[in-house]
Parts: sequence; C-alpha cells; structure tokens
Amino acid sequence: MNRQEAEVVLQKTFQIPHFYDEQWSTIEKLIRGERVLLIEKTGYGKSLCFQFPAILFSGTTVVFSPLIALMRDQARKLTSLGIPAKCINSEQTPEENSQIIAEAKEGLLKILYIAPERQENPEWMEATRDINLSMVVVDEAHCISVWGHDFRPAFKRIINLVRLLPKGLPVLATTATATPRVQGDIEKQMGGDLTVIRGNLMRDSFRLFVVKVDSEDEKLIWLGKNLEKLPGTGLLYNGTRMDTEIYAKWLDYLHISSIGYNAGMDVESRIAIENGLMNNQWKCIITTNALGMGIDKPDIRFIIHTQMPQSPIHYYQEIGRAGRDGEPAYIILFYHPDDRRLPEVFIEGGRPCIPKYERVIRAIKSELLGEKDLMRKTNLKQTQFRVIKADLIDQKIIREVTFDRHKKMEYIAGSPALNTASFDELRASKTNDLEKMLEYIDTTESRMKYLCTYLGDESKSAFHNCDNTGQKKIKVIVTPEWTQKLKDFRENYFPEIIVETKGSNLMNGVAGSFYGFSNVGAALHRCKYEGKGDFPDFLVWITVKAFRQKLGKGQYDVMVYVPPTVSGDLVKNFTEKVSLILNIPVSHKLRKQRMTCEQKIFENHYLKHDNVADAFIYDPAEEITGKNILLIDDIFDSGATVKEIGKYLTHLGAATITPLIIARTVGGDIHD
Amino acid sequence: MTNEAAYWITLAHIPGWGPVKVNSLVDRFVHEYNLTIEEFLDLPESDLMQFYGLEQKEIDELNAAKAEIPNNAFLAEQLQHEGYELIPITSADYPQTLKDNFKPTHSPSLLYVKGNRQILHEKSVAIVGSREASDIALEFTDHIAKMATRDFKVVVSGFARGVDKQALDSALKYTGQSIIVLPQGIMTFSTGFKTYYKQIIDGDVLVISTFHPRASWKTELAMARNTVIYGLADEIYVAESSDKGGTWSGVIDGLRKKRKIYVRKPEPDEENANDLLIEKGAHPVDLYGNLILDEAALKARELDAEYGIKILELLKSGEYTTKDILKRLEMNWSDNKLREFLKAQKEVETINKKPLRYRSKQLTLFD
Repeated sequence: MNRQEAEVVLQKTFQIPHFYDEQWSTIEKLIRGERVLLIEKTGYGKSLCFQFPAILFSGTTVVFSPLIALMRDQARKLTSLGIPAKCINSEQTPEENSQIIAEAKEGLLKILYIAPERQENPEWMEATRDINLSMVVVDEAHCISVWGHDFRPAFKRIINLVRLLPKGLPVLATTATATPRVQGDIEKQMGGDLTVIRGNLMRDSFRLFVVKVDSEDEKLIWLGKNLEKLPGTGLLYNGTRMDTEIYAKWLDYLHISSIGYNAGMDVESRIAIENGLMNNQWKCIITTNALGMGIDKPDIRFIIHTQMPQSPIHYYQEIGRAGRDGEPAYIILFYHPDDRRLPEVFIEGGRPCIPKYERVIRAIKSELLGEKDLMRKTNLKQTQFRVIKADLIDQKIIREVTFDRHKKMEYIAGSPALNTASFDELRASKTNDLEKMLEYIDTTESRMKYLCTYLGDESKSAFHNCDNTGQKKIKVIVTPEWTQKLKDFRENYFPEIIVETKGSNLMNGVAGSFYGFSNVGAALHRCKYEGKGDFPDFLVWITVKAFRQKLGKGQYDVMVYVPPTVSGDLVKNFTEKVSLILNIPVSHKLRKQRMTCEQKIFENHYLKHDNVADAFIYDPAEEITGKNILLIDDIFDSGATVKEIGKYLTHLGAATITPLIIARTVGGDIHD
Repeated sequence: MTNEAAYWITLAHIPGWGPVKVNSLVDRFVHEYNLTIEEFLDLPESDLMQFYGLEQKEIDELNAAKAEIPNNAFLAEQLQHEGYELIPITSADYPQTLKDNFKPTHSPSLLYVKGNRQILHEKSVAIVGSREASDIALEFTDHIAKMATRDFKVVVSGFARGVDKQALDSALKYTGQSIIVLPQGIMTFSTGFKTYYKQIIDGDVLVISTFHPRASWKTELAMARNTVIYGLADEIYVAESSDKGGTWSGVIDGLRKKRKIYVRKPEPDEENANDLLIEKGAHPVDLYGNLILDEAALKARELDAEYGIKILELLKSGEYTTKDILKRLEMNWSDNKLREFLKAQKEVETINKKPLRYRSKQLTLFD
C-alpha cells in the first residue's frame, strides 16, 4: 500500500485527509513488520500511527498504556469511527473485563488497550494463548526507563515480552518526553532492529512565565486576584495533597469555580472530575500531577504550577497537556527559593536506607510470603516497601511469582548482592535534573528553547513565547485587602477527617489543623513526648472553632476520647476542657482491654490495624446504644484507631460516631 | 537463548510430532546448515521440502504452530518472569546423562526447570517404586538416599506418593540434593514450589518437566515422566514394584535398553513383583543396596580373588605378557578380562613393548 492509497483509507475511516511525513514513515515500517520508537510531542497524532495499521492487520493490536483515561477516551473515539476497540482496566468490573477478553479471543477487536500491570492477571495470561496478535504498542515508553520522569516497574515485563516476540511482528513504542539518555535506554532495552523517529518538540502556542515570589501567600493572592482573568479553563498543579486541599479551599472561599483532585479519591469521583474537565465545568482543577496525563482535551488554556516539578522533563510532560489545539495557552510557574526543598526530599527520601533493603531480603530468604505478610514482618511503609521491592526485582535479587493466584516474593538463588552504586548514580542524576529545573527558572534566554534543548530537540527556530522573549513579566502585587482576606481564610479553615464507610456509623469529622501547619505539630510533640504538660489552650480553641464551623449543627449526646498508650491523661484533660466549653458530657468508659503500642511505631496500615484490632471495650455497653458520639483524639494519621473504635461502637449500637481531632497529618509527616 | 524461548516452545510441542522428528530437524538446522531456530522457522516452504524433506502435511502442521509464536511469547515471558528456565536440547546446560541414556534422537527436545540447574550435571541415582509402598520399601529408599547423598550423588524421583516422596524427603533429610521430575506442566506445580521453597533457593532441589508448561497431570504424562526419571539417572534402584503399572513398565523398558537396574530383594512373605524383575535381568540388592550374588557367582568371585593374588605374586618375579600369565597360572580368564584387571591394579605397571608386558612397580630408593 503506498501513501496515496493509504490516505484514501485514512479519509474514509478516520476522516483525516493526510498523514504527516513522520506518521507515514512510521506506519510504512510497521506495515513491513518492523519496530519503531516514535518520539513526538503531545497532540502530534502518535496514536494514528498504530490505529491506522491496526485496521489493516487481520488480527488484534494490543496497546499497553499506563493511562486509563487515555485508553478509555481512545477506545470511545475509535468505536465512534466504527473501529472495534476496547480497553481492559481496573476501573471496570471483572465481568466487563472478562467480556472484553472473550471478544478479543474471538477476534472481534481490532485494538485492545490494556495496562501493563495486566500481565500479572491469570485470566489475561490465559487469554493470550488464543489472541491472534498482529501488533504490539508500548505507549508512554519512557516509563521503561529509570532515567525518565515516570519509571514504572510493570513496564519491565512488557519489555521482556517485546524481546521474546518473533521477528516480523510489528512493535511501536511511543513517547512525548524522552531525553537522549532515556531514548538510549529504551533502544537498549527493546533491543534489536529498532528505528527511532524523532519529531520536534517545540510548542509555539505556549506562553511561558516564571513568577518568583517572596512567600507562599503571594502565590495564593496572585491566583485569587487573577485566576478568573485567564482565558478558558485549566489546571493548577500543586506539589502535595495538603496543598491541593488548601488551594481548593482558598479558591472555594473566594467563590472561584474550582475543584480539588487527587489520586487518593475513589474511582467515581475521579471519573466525574475528569468528565467535568472535558466539559469545562470548572474554571480550574486543583490537583497533584495525578491528573492530566493522557487526558485528550484540546483546549486546556492554562497550566499553573505552585510548586516546581523535579526536572524539566517532568515539567515539559505536565505542561504538554495544554493547548493541543494550537491556540495560545498560559504556562505559569511560581517559584519561591524554599520550593526546592520538596523535590529534594523526594530525591533524598526516594529510596529507603540500606538496612531496610537488607531486612526485606532476609525476610524473603527465610520464607515465601506475599506483600502483606512481608510488610507485617518488616514493618515498612507500603510506599517504601514497594520501592524496595521494585529495586530488588530490577536487580534480579527477588522475583514476584504467582502461585494459585496469590503473589509471592521469591528469592533468586545465587543472586548478586544489593548494588547500591546504582542508587547513588540515580540520585546524582536526579539532583542534576533538579539543577536543570532551577536553571529553567533563572534563565534569561528563551524558555521554550531551553526545554527543547534539554529534551534533545536541537531545532533552530526562534522563539518569542515567554517572559524572556517579548511576553510581559508577571509581578505579584500584594494589597492589605488581600492580606486580610487570606488571614480570614486561614483562621476559618479546618481539615476534614474523611472516615465514612459502609457498615460503620462513623461520620466524617474535622480537625483543628494540619499537623505540619504553623506550630500545632510542635506543640503536640512537646506535650506528648517531652513532658511539657497539658496541651496548650490554643489547641483547645482551634479545635472548638473547627467544631463550631463544621460540626456545630449536629447534636451530640456524649464525648468519648481515645484511651492513651503512653501520653497519660493529655487527651482526657483536653476532652474535659472542650466538654466544658461545648457543654457536652464526657464519658470515661472507653478503655483498652489489652496493651497496644503507639501507632506511630508501625509503618504500614496492616500493622497499625493489627495493633488496635479488638483492643477497645466500653462498659456498660447499653449506655452507648442509640447515642450520637463525638470521638476526641489528638492526632489523626492513618485513621486505623478511629476506624477501629468506630467499628466497635457501631457494633454496640451507637447511632453516630464523629471524630473531632486536634491535628491531621498528611502522608505520614509525623516521624520523630 | 532467552530470546528464542517462544520459538522453542512452539517447535517442541507440535501436536503429533514427538522428539524424534523434532530432534532430527534440530540436528539438521544446527549442525548441517548452521541456522538459529529463528532462522529455521523463517525458512520458505520450498526449503523445508527440499532440504529438510518435510511433506505438505508436515508443513501445514508447522505453519499452524508458527502462527502461535506470538502467543508463546506471552507464555515465555511469564515463564521467565516466574523464574522457570528453558533448556533446549542444543544447550550446553542440557544434561549429558539424558542424551547418553536416551539416544539424542529420543531425548526430550525441551526441558523446563526451576531451581539449581547445576544439579543436572552431577552423578545421579533414581529411586523408584510404587505409591502404596510397604514400610520396608520406604526403609530401603531411605538407605539408598542416604548412601547416594554420602557419595555426593543427586537423588532423582518423581514426586508421587510412597517411594518417590520418601526418596526426596530422605535426600533432603541427609542434606543431599534432589531432582523432582514432574508428571505435569511446570506451571501447575504451585504446591510443590511452596513446600520446597527453602530447598530450591538453597540450591538443593531442581524441578524439571518435559511437558507443555500448562499441561495438567495425566496418566500418559506420568508414564512418560517415568522414562525421564530413568534417563536422568546414572544408577536405578527399585524399592518395590507390582507386576503392572508405572514402575513395572519403566523397569522393563530400562532392561530392554540394557540399563543396569538394582532391585531390592524382597523378603519371602512379600507380595510384589521384585523377584520377577530380578528374573528378567535386574540385579538384586539387599536392604542397604549391597549387591546379592547367587552361589555360582559367589564361587566365581572367590576364585577370581584367588587368581588376583597369584597374578600379583607372579608379577613380582619378572615381566610377563598376558599370554604368559594365563599359561603359567593355568587360568581360564579371557585375555580381555585379564587386561582390564591389570589396568585396574595400582601396583602393576605396563611396559611398552610389543606385545605388552606387565610387572610389579619397582620401588626406587634413589630418584
């Protein structure tokens, strides 16, 4: 098939008149059964490079993609064009997925989208015996490489699969963001005859700004004053979930149409927000970088970062989601010198210390265990455990095997000792990337050119699309009126305690503050662990204020408090003070029926749960039946204790249990 | 080899082909034409007909199998991910014992293993017997496993109840090494991999299967597995056999192939077919594995021992050819037997004259 003939089909099937040159040369190679790595910017039309040949092949093209939203979106579009395409993902029911797998086995699908993690699924592996495979696509191929911005261990298996596929079976790997180093890594890992096709990465519709500020307040104030003046709708990226919550509340306080999003939300909420984004339901979505990858919205008009990403490649990837339609998009990065601390923590804290690795290796050597039992045995946080696990798998010290549908970690006999040099090398490389990000902030040259050069695009075009090359610089002007507004907001803002679940009468509650916010955490710490006496009164006041603001409308019959482990009567005395002010009686009858340890010594929720399971007793139980209870505690971290008490009191017949807490942590920031 | 896994899985399990046909093709493309398996499977039909003598029907079968290479790539990836290794017959890791015992033509074309591959190259002892073994058969098994372990030999067994299980457990009890030969596909052995996790990672156990990795247990597979057990072993000990079933047919097959097979001499009141196997040419051994000889054989052995002493005495007095020795001592040994005997004696040296002469080694006082 020559290009002319192909374009006839293209027009007929996709209603697109022509291919770009690089699209056609990719497609030509795939039709000949070759392997291609295609590096093109977001919005270029990479997907067409496999969608088109897929309809020519007799069998099914399997597309591995880490982005559920993208898979869903593309499958929908293809279906509307009359091309049978579906996606299998964890957000669908097992029945739906089974149905789609059955269709694939019967050869009813031209394109099947699938997450790399699915390689672990027995049903899918079973199905691979029968699928008539005509092409394999590895989307977001930079996820293969630890040198990229989004390394995903599940991609290792995809790479191994690609290496085992017979010659002559076409393979396409695509990415929008590969530095020369990442490109080299992909080539090396995919092995063999791989042609690299690289387009230019310049986005001349971007308007790039860097706003250097003197405080966090200035970011909030500038957004409050200017967000609504920006054209269209867009995204506001924060560095942490806590910031996401605070910025969302701030915009809400100012009645600016917006909504917060994070990866911890349930599937329905996330899909609702993603759909709302597509329909311009809000001016702005406030999010961590969990949102946006793979969302095919052509007209995102602005992307604002309140925290710089770890590297220019992260940044390019995140802003790449804006202005796909070629119309101008505002790309604004706030910067305060303290902002480098967060990425530094990520880089420094990205890897657990070596003894933790050794602890895991020892545990795996001694017994064949699954992740849950290993976490119990090693007392590691899930995030840390997963990093260790991925590294040990990568270094071929352990492997993950599936026996009777249960995953277990297996030690590899005769495997090498842990190689820590590679960790150091990776850390050095990330530190270097961070320096490059800071260089972007400080550069006086074209910002677009800076990013393109960093990404290995040496095109010579002239750029006039940033605040160094003709665009007016953004300055933050703080007025007393706005300072006051922000102060009012801060004094009336209380973090929510989200604990409602089915089968428990626990209600969502409130905390007086975040643990890390101003001096709250420090005050708690002094009293709990340095014996400085009762919690100071200001903690009573913020907690009472939080109660009045958020829970004041409710009726409460009695206050109970979480019985102490080590801190004596601090919470009891605190509860009595609050009780006097709120005029709700205190009950002292919630007790522990066995010793528990301090929750903070347990690093993961399995052990925290084990620690408090069935630990509480309320006697006489009849007293609690039908009552609306306010449950007081000092710190809310994993929530295991509150949930356990909620479960227990529900069981005793309590009508509602609502937590009122002094401080809530964010992502476990309570380590002393 | 790792990247060829999908091709090997494809070629090894073509329905109805079997190792003889596959191995002869492998032999050709590797040794005669110097091709990789990938290149072989990429050959045009005309070449397959002309150079490999395949008929149209076979080519159709091969094509049908080739269409599944991508599917087998998924399988190969899974095997690799879960730590199973493939050893095709062309690999240096393929056990020589297997090739020696079967002819190369009949050896399984592809082995699936997990565990310490090195074990495949050690001296090995198979212990076989029925699932419903008597206590004495199990005791025998324990003794043989102990003896094998002491001599650094690997115990090969089939992971059935009774003797097989005892052989494995005893070998491990005496901190020896063991090969488990599966009557099923290697991916269907979860329970075993869980049970022997420690021994596998410590390098003491190797699990091996010659069947499609996902094949489940079948009587035919169990029968075919028995021949692999015999094939992997340098010595074969039979603890107990009835007059039919796997052990019986395995031993009969082994005897037909002129394998040396030791069978436990049963007590008079035992009801099994051990004596029958001894009648058919298997060698009887006692509870500890010592060879039991009948009276004539014992007599002959005694006589031989006497001759041995006389020969060594004679050689102290000078140089003799074999002819001289036989004549002087009036022996009825064959010339060959005598040569073998002399070769085996440390204190005898051979003098390179024609015909060869022998004498006792001279102790030299001055070097």
